[in-house]
Amino acid sequence: MNLEERIRVEPDGSLTAFSGKIEFGQGIRTAFAQLVANELDVPVERVRVVLGDTDEVPFDFGTFGSNSIAQEAPALRRAAAFARRTLIDRAAARLGVPAKRLDTKDGTIGDGDGKRVSYAELVRDAPLTGTIPDDEPLLPQGRWRHIGTPLSRVEARDIVTGRARYTADVRLDGLARGAIARPPVRGGRATRVDERAARAMPGVITVVRDGDLIGVVAEREDQARAAADALDIDWDAPTIDAPTTQVVPLREDAGTDAAIASAALTRSATYTLPSIASASIGPSAAVVDVRADGATVYAGTHRPFGLRDTVADRVGLPRDQVRVQAQMSSGTYGRSSAPDVGVEAAVLSKHARRPVLVQWTRAEEFACSPNRPEAVLEVTAGLDGEGRIAAWRYDEHTNVHTAAGPDPRVAAMTSGRNAVPPYAIKHARVVLHVEPTPLRTANFRSLAAAENVFAIESFVDELAHASGQDPLAFRLRHVNDARLRRAMERVAEVSDFGGKLPERRGRGFACTEYHGTYVAQVAEVEVSASGAVRVLRIWCVIDPGLVVNPDGVRNQTEGGIQQSASWALLEELRHKGGRVATTSWDTYPIATFRDAPESIEVLVEGDASAPSTGVGEPGAVPTAAAIANAVFAACGARVRDVPLTRERVRKTMTDR
Amino acid sequence: MRLVLIVNGATHSVDPPPSASLLSVLRDDLGLTGTRFGCGSGQCGSCYVIVDGRAVASCLMPARQAVEREITTIEGLAQGDDLHPVQKAFIAEDAMQCGYCTSGMIISAAALLAHDAAPDEAAIRDALAGNLCRCGVYGRAIRAVQRAAGTRGVAGGSPPAMKKGSAPAITRGVAGGSAPAMNRKNK
Repeated sequence: MNLEERIRVEPDGSLTAFSGKIEFGQGIRTAFAQLVANELDVPVERVRVVLGDTDEVPFDFGTFGSNSIAQEAPALRRAAAFARRTLIDRAAARLGVPAKRLDTKDGTIGDGDGKRVSYAELVRDAPLTGTIPDDEPLLPQGRWRHIGTPLSRVEARDIVTGRARYTADVRLDGLARGAIARPPVRGGRATRVDERAARAMPGVITVVRDGDLIGVVAEREDQARAAADALDIDWDAPTIDAPTTQVVPLREDAGTDAAIASAALTRSATYTLPSIASASIGPSAAVVDVRADGATVYAGTHRPFGLRDTVADRVGLPRDQVRVQAQMSSGTYGRSSAPDVGVEAAVLSKHARRPVLVQWTRAEEFACSPNRPEAVLEVTAGLDGEGRIAAWRYDEHTNVHTAAGPDPRVAAMTSGRNAVPPYAIKHARVVLHVEPTPLRTANFRSLAAAENVFAIESFVDELAHASGQDPLAFRLRHVNDARLRRAMERVAEVSDFGGKLPERRGRGFACTEYHGTYVAQVAEVEVSASGAVRVLRIWCVIDPGLVVNPDGVRNQTEGGIQQSASWALLEELRHKGGRVATTSWDTYPIATFRDAPESIEVLVEGDASAPSTGVGEPGAVPTAAAIANAVFAACGARVRDVPLTRERVRKTMTDR
Repeated sequence: MRLVLIVNGATHSVDPPPSASLLSVLRDDLGLTGTRFGCGSGQCGSCYVIVDGRAVASCLMPARQAVEREITTIEGLAQGDDLHPVQKAFIAEDAMQCGYCTSGMIISAAALLAHDAAPDEAAIRDALAGNLCRCGVYGRAIRAVQRAAGTRGVAGGSPPAMKKGSAPAITRGVAGGSAPAMNRKNK
């Protein structure tokens, strides 16, 4: 790749870095700035990071899989190191000093205390260019000034002053508002539309019918909404495609069934998790300006290039005449891999010949967004005479986990993510069943890992108790990976796991390895006589390899734990007759300030000799199991169905 | 319908439709987009502004009811370049991720501290209970409010610290740990 696609030294000597990833609050803009500043030896505020602008950044497939740092850190560091070396070569020629005697300092290059030349002077005559070598040497660790240093978010001041501009805050000349008329059931098509009343309403610019999309463009948001509601439409019932179930073997060791049959102790259990909503605080939004010669799309999207292509195809423009500028976005945790709202705004803009902002209502966000699918996990294991897991049989039943729809090539790594346990087990059979659903499902934080790890880590806990072993020691008997072992032992140590607790309190353990990041957690809960679960404290050790911004890692991990505790205790998206029934914060409650644990303590203990891996998702993955295991420790109730509501916990307590 | 509103100390004359909410007028007529739309039904706190000293959901308040009242939005909390103590504290604690709910949280916290200079943790949780955050920064936000109030790390004002010596200081994440370095431009 050419340097100018990645890093530009500006005429004032400041730096601009380019990446196709996008910022949803993960803190990657900050970490990328740190990486570039580190290698080029400048203060972080001298680096501007351009993210997700399809006219400016190199192609990127999308921001998911906790992959931003893992993928971009090496690329940005190499680019910056190459820029630094090229600048030093230019300085050598300028100063008449051999390059090996020169060094960088705060955006200048010189020989000790002698004459110095600034980056600005070195790019005055010609911009920095060249092909970035794959083996470009990086700045030695002794010279690092920014990697490993905790830093607040570079957007922090804009966020706390309200100056930060999110998609719905984009204001263009002539900006109009759009609203969409929705069928009562997903997939329904209009058989008759009477738009006379809507057209006569105040502020209405036009009523749009284009393919299956019906909407209104008006001067103000509430006018567009009122007119969309005034459209008189007959809808037909949707025809539902029913694809067959995909059966995907993830691991198939010969002799698994025989090993279970001959085991000294056998246990089986079934775990269930409901569909849950991404529940973004800011509903989906897009601003699109379609002109005769092209279009500009302002949106929060995980896939700027994918959105560009989808919009171009839909409005009939060449792809290279559509520009997507990814905006700051309310966190959507995967949901914005789907291009929906961007396409809606584009179609409305095309017909209205005005830039159009569409922002969904809260009810639309719940009812029409793709959601995390439900999961049913069936597991059977056999222990040998020494209490080790001899055989493991696991069937995962779920739906497609990506916005792109069913695809056998990616089923294992998406719907099957983390279905294979991280433990050394001689005989295992793990099978994924991706079943059809009429509901809209898609990418959500960690995809199926959160579901699978809930089942695996709950069941391992059950096996330990069934065989009279300590849950941590039992796990450790099956762990060969030194980094996972260290994270497990550290979290047990700092949480005093196994220590004595007051009545009705318990601690639970869970761990995982997710895309190269190791996470181990201990949750402490209190269970009331009525079955109400209160999470008091959570300890977490996370090892994501080389850490760029320790506070960024901690913040992401704390947030993942908090969000996951909310999934585990409160959340269930309910459906009725093919429609989402929970379409408000009343009916789909999430954790509030009152529910937040007393403390979430995250120890960032990355193995600096290992490559940087992601932290956006891993913290959320083991939390539900840690909580469920803590509930068992507190009151003896083994709850296998999420969410762990008061009624469910009470019933499990009284039934046992 | 012509209305005169007093927002962040300045008087504005606007002409929105009669049913317009205060949120719509702030965002669409006055360009004050720092107040966010979240739910339109007063359940999430994203749109909170201070009206006559109280944090209220601007999505539920008709603009015509805001006439002659003193309205402060997130844009009006700082005195020029000098941030409000709550704003400074949110930066110091890095109490944000996507930041969409942050305006509303800071408004609630500022309104709280104006009435109770040293609230205990339960009072902070109660005052901010209407502010939903999906990214999960509740713990950091509580510490930020404590920092702004000067009670962070004081007994009863912070979560219990972990037992001593169990982790190197640089990696500590709870009260007593070091706050992240601020960016130079934030100082």
